[in-house]
Amino acid sequence: MKKLLLAVALGVLTGPGTVLAHHGGNLYDTTKAVELKGTITKFEWGTPHNQIYFDVKTDKGEMQHWVGSTEPAGVMLERGWTRKSLLPGDAVTVYIFAAKNGATVGNLQKIVKADGTVLSA
Amino acid sequence: MKRLFYAMALAAGLSLPAVAQDPAKIPDTSKIVPPMDVSTLKNYLPVGRPANLKPSAIPDLSGDWAADNKRGGFGQSLSAADPGGRMRGKEPDIKYLPWALQRTLAENPPTGPDAKYEVTTDPQMHYCEPHGVGRIYMHPVKARYVQTPEAVYILHEMGPAFRVVWLQADHPADPDPQYWGHSIGWYEGGDTLVVDSVGFNDRSWLDQVGHPHTEKLHTIERFKRIGADVLEYDITIDDPGAYAAPWPGHRNFIKSTTGFMRYMWVCSVRDNNEHYQNTFAPGNDSGVTTFGK
Repeated sequence: MKKLLLAVALGVLTGPGTVLAHHGGNLYDTTKAVELKGTITKFEWGTPHNQIYFDVKTDKGEMQHWVGSTEPAGVMLERGWTRKSLLPGDAVTVYIFAAKNGATVGNLQKIVKADGTVLSA
Repeated sequence: MKRLFYAMALAAGLSLPAVAQDPAKIPDTSKIVPPMDVSTLKNYLPVGRPANLKPSAIPDLSGDWAADNKRGGFGQSLSAADPGGRMRGKEPDIKYLPWALQRTLAENPPTGPDAKYEVTTDPQMHYCEPHGVGRIYMHPVKARYVQTPEAVYILHEMGPAFRVVWLQADHPADPDPQYWGHSIGWYEGGDTLVVDSVGFNDRSWLDQVGHPHTEKLHTIERFKRIGADVLEYDITIDDPGAYAAPWPGHRNFIKSTTGFMRYMWVCSVRDNNEHYQNTFAPGNDSGVTTFGK
C-alpha cells in the first residue's frame, strides 16, 4: 500500500481554506496528499459534497475501491467543474488527503486526467 | 424549547434526523445556558434606524456574490481576529460571558481545526435548520441581492433560505423570535447597505465553530461595494446575554459569473448521511459508524 502511495507536498496543491471547509480534519492526514493512478467508476455531483469513486490497482494486483469528496457542486462550478467533468472509465491521477487509518477514503485535492486536464479541488 | 427537545430526544434515544448514532458520545451542550434571565439585560448598541440618517444614493448590489478566496474564503469563525477558527475560546476580540465560553468549548464543530464531524453538536448538521445571520455568509453558497424600494431580498443559493431587509419599516415592538430575526435596513454613503436585526431565536450557531447566542442577539451588518467585483461584509455581534461586549466579524465576497441557482444546496439528511457513510465512516476508528438512521 505504502509503495503505491507517493506523498506530495501539501502546499503546492491547495490553500488552507480548501482543507478547513471539509469535514474530516481529524481523520484524514491533511499534512500530505497521496498520489493514486486509477479509473473513475462513478461521479456524484451534489451536496453536501461531490463524491468521486475510483478504482486503483496496487502493485500486488489488488483492486482498491476509493471514494474522495470535494466541496459541493455550487462551489466546484466556481472552480470550473461541471457534473460531466469526470465520467466512468476516465483514467486519472488523483491527489487526496487519505484516512489516517488506511481506509480508502479521503478529501480530494486535485485530479489530472489522461489528456492533461487539471481539476483542482 | 430547543434545549428541552434536544435533551428529551437524547434522553429518550429518539432517532434524530442526522446524528443519532451514539448519544453517549455527543456532548449535551444544551445544558450549558445563561445563568440569568437575559430579558433583563439591555443591548449595548442602539437598535434600529438612526434618527438623523443622511440621504444616500442607492448602491448597486446586483449580481451574484461568492466567497472571495483571495480575501479569506468562507472561513470558520466569525471572529475578525480568528477567521480560521484556530483560537476558539481565546479570540482577543470576543469577551465571553462564562457560560458562553463553556458552551463554545463544549461544542464539536463539523469542520475546521477542532472538527469532530462524527460526534458534531452542530444543530444545522443535526436538523438541517437554517444557518441564520452571520453563519450563512460562511457557508459555501452564493447570494443575490434584489433591491426594491420596499425591501432588499437576500437570496441564498441554499435552502430555501432568504432574508427580507425592510427599508421603510421599523422593528416590531416585540418580534417573534425566529432563525433569521427581523431585519430593517438603509443605505449609507452611496456604497453601503446597513442591516439592523433583532428578534432571533437562540437555536443557531453564529459561525462554524459553535459560537452561541441568545434571543437578545442584535446584529448590525454592512454590505459595502468596494469595487466592481468585491463586496465587503462587516457584522457586529451585540448579544449581552452571551458576550460582555460587541465583537466584529468580517468577510469578503467576489462577483460570480457562473450563474445563479445552477445548483441549489438543499440540506438533506439523506445526502448528509450518504456522504458520511461513503467518505467518512470508513476512516473513523472511534466506533461511530453511522450518521443518522
